[in-house]
Amino acid sequence: MNYQPQDFLPIFVQLAAALAFIVLVMVLTHALGPKRHSAKKDDSFECGIESIGDARTPISVKYFLVAILFVLFDLEIVFMYPWAVNFKQLAWNGFYEMIVFMGLLLAGFIYVIKKGILTWEK
Amino acid sequence: MEISNIWYFLSALTLLSALMVIMSKNPIHSVLYLVFTFFCISAHYVLLNAQFLMAVNIIVYAGAIMVLFLFVIMMFDLKKNIPESKSSLTKLAGSVVAGTLLVILIAIVRKNNIPAPLGDKFNSQTGMVENLGQVLYGEFLLPFELVSILFFVAMVGAVLLGKREAGERNF
Amino acid sequence: MTAIIALSLFGISNLFLGFWFPRKTIQLVTLLFLVVSMALTVSDWNHELLWFGNMFRTTNTSINFSLIIQLAAFFVVAFSKAFGQDDEHTHPAEYYAIMLFSVVGAILMVSFDHMIVLFVGLEILSVAMYVLTGSDKRNLRSNEAAIKYFLMGSFTTGFLLFGITLVYGATRSFYISNIGTILTTTAPESMPSFLFIGVLLIIVGLLFKVSAAPFHFWTPDVYEGAPTIFTMFMSTIVKTASFAALFQLVSGIFGSLYTVWVLPVYFISMLTLVVGNISAVYQQSVKRMLAFSSISHAGYLILTVSSKQISTTSSILYYSLSYTLATVVAFAVLILVSEYQSARVEKPENFSSFEGLAKNNPGLALCFSISMLSLAGIPLTAGFWGKFFIFSDTFSRNIIYPVILAILMSAVGIYYYFKGIIAVYLKAGEIEKIEVPTLFKMALWACTLGTIILGIYPSLVKSVF
Repeated sequence: MNYQPQDFLPIFVQLAAALAFIVLVMVLTHALGPKRHSAKKDDSFECGIESIGDARTPISVKYFLVAILFVLFDLEIVFMYPWAVNFKQLAWNGFYEMIVFMGLLLAGFIYVIKKGILTWEK
Repeated sequence: MEISNIWYFLSALTLLSALMVIMSKNPIHSVLYLVFTFFCISAHYVLLNAQFLMAVNIIVYAGAIMVLFLFVIMMFDLKKNIPESKSSLTKLAGSVVAGTLLVILIAIVRKNNIPAPLGDKFNSQTGMVENLGQVLYGEFLLPFELVSILFFVAMVGAVLLGKREAGERNF
Repeated sequence: MTAIIALSLFGISNLFLGFWFPRKTIQLVTLLFLVVSMALTVSDWNHELLWFGNMFRTTNTSINFSLIIQLAAFFVVAFSKAFGQDDEHTHPAEYYAIMLFSVVGAILMVSFDHMIVLFVGLEILSVAMYVLTGSDKRNLRSNEAAIKYFLMGSFTTGFLLFGITLVYGATRSFYISNIGTILTTTAPESMPSFLFIGVLLIIVGLLFKVSAAPFHFWTPDVYEGAPTIFTMFMSTIVKTASFAALFQLVSGIFGSLYTVWVLPVYFISMLTLVVGNISAVYQQSVKRMLAFSSISHAGYLILTVSSKQISTTSSILYYSLSYTLATVVAFAVLILVSEYQSARVEKPENFSSFEGLAKNNPGLALCFSISMLSLAGIPLTAGFWGKFFIFSDTFSRNIIYPVILAILMSAVGIYYYFKGIIAVYLKAGEIEKIEVPTLFKMALWACTLGTIILGIYPSLVKSVF
């Protein structure tokens, strides 16, 4: 195969179409729908308890830890993509290389689990 | 449309959104501009015919790393922490240094002795996944395996710094 | 070569050992690991070979640098006292594992033959250092130091990467042996001019890591904020590895571009000497003084980059070794004294808390004084010969004014190093006998003896290098 940048044109057309759809729908809803404002109606929870304070409260660092571990394993998956595409050409050598790479990261994963990072309640 | 025109348009867009990242007052807006900058850079990769980099840039940077940025912003109480503005001397020094680097780089580009791509060796398919994989798992074996050590350090570091210790508040 | 594989596996196994074994055992096991990896490093002696697709080169020089780095790591682990008794807030297995990983990074930085390996090595070392700097989580200073180091460090890594890209663009090669050949065979006028920017950016990126003068602003804060044991690690291992990489690049493959970098490098080295030494004079805190002293020692080392004598490599190795031995002892005594004083005085790391150390702890006082003498470069210590070799190498290249400045500045250095010795011996103060663990004591005396032996018989080691 011989790819050139213009081969990506369909993707951009799709992107543009998706964006245009969102913009169109948003404009339409605002234009067509009736507008009735009141203090009660603009409240976050119209028929719930009264909201107190601010939504911007600090969140627990545990979420962040999970997110960071997600990024690391996400990156690991990225490395598998070019390997999978070349699986046949790389043959056994490539397989062993990947085994080493995955083995190291698996050890990391076991460490993280044993350390109790992914258990929410303790 | 001429391809160089697309390039100029994209570059202007990239620079503009990158400037907005540091100029907007609201940190959430900064993050969103940063996402847009990453998309622009991905488009640059498309122009360079590096589809793998484009996909990875969007998945990892615009996707995952930006989520981390948002998490960090959410962890701070933004109202309390209004960053103090730097003194004008610091700003001046910073602008002078950055401006000097810019002038030097522009002067070098204008000297115009950038080597042309080698006609016979030029391969437009270098950035494709197949070719990248061949190089990554052949020639670049050592850096590839070392990256797992780097991941390990990052993982242990995150666990070390982020783990809740006994006696710390929990919510 | 096998050492990096072994160290990586040792680091991982260290993490798991932490689940089952007490901290003392992990400390001993880590020491054993380092001895094994040193033996593996030595086994490559006299085999000049390229490994892993020509990306990793073992030469006797790189082996020597790796050995110095591993020796420094060995002493740091020996001085760590297994990180106390506090099971809630310290994680010795993780600390030791990260140290072993960062030694892998440092070894890569002294034996790379490919720019990407240099970059990955630097990243492994730096990320590990950012984490260790901030490892004292409940201390605000430690947090501030970590974030400062991280922001500055990642920014300059960007500079290094930009430089590597520009050099790659100009020479079409990542292999430093190729780049060297291309640069020597091509006239500088016919090279694209961004090559020179690339070279300077690489130099800037690495100079940041050795904390040379215009890029040194992070050093005092980070060294002071980090836990002392990791400051010891940073000031020896990071400095040695980064300087080895800088020397190999600048003096080796960029050697033919002499005219491009020689003036900036002189300027930076002289500025580093002045800033490091003059600022160190005004410090009240021993830790901060040692931070500025490490800046000034970077200045002496940078002088040699352009000297290009046959003996230069061995002079640098000798200097690194003597600096490492002396610095490690200075920080070790600082750890003991500041731990003792932390409950008694407000600022346990100041010179004043050393006052009267010699009365009840003559051994500690002697070790501390010898390390200070060695750092100052007084004869009969290793530091004197280190400075002597460097000055004579540089002088024989007809580089006169920087050497004169360096000699003047080492005279300034004597002032602030002697401030420590005076506090220990001449000032009155009340320090009771400090309990020193056996391993700690052995390591302390080994380093001190090493300093003296190197000072009396410099040829003993110089002939090996």
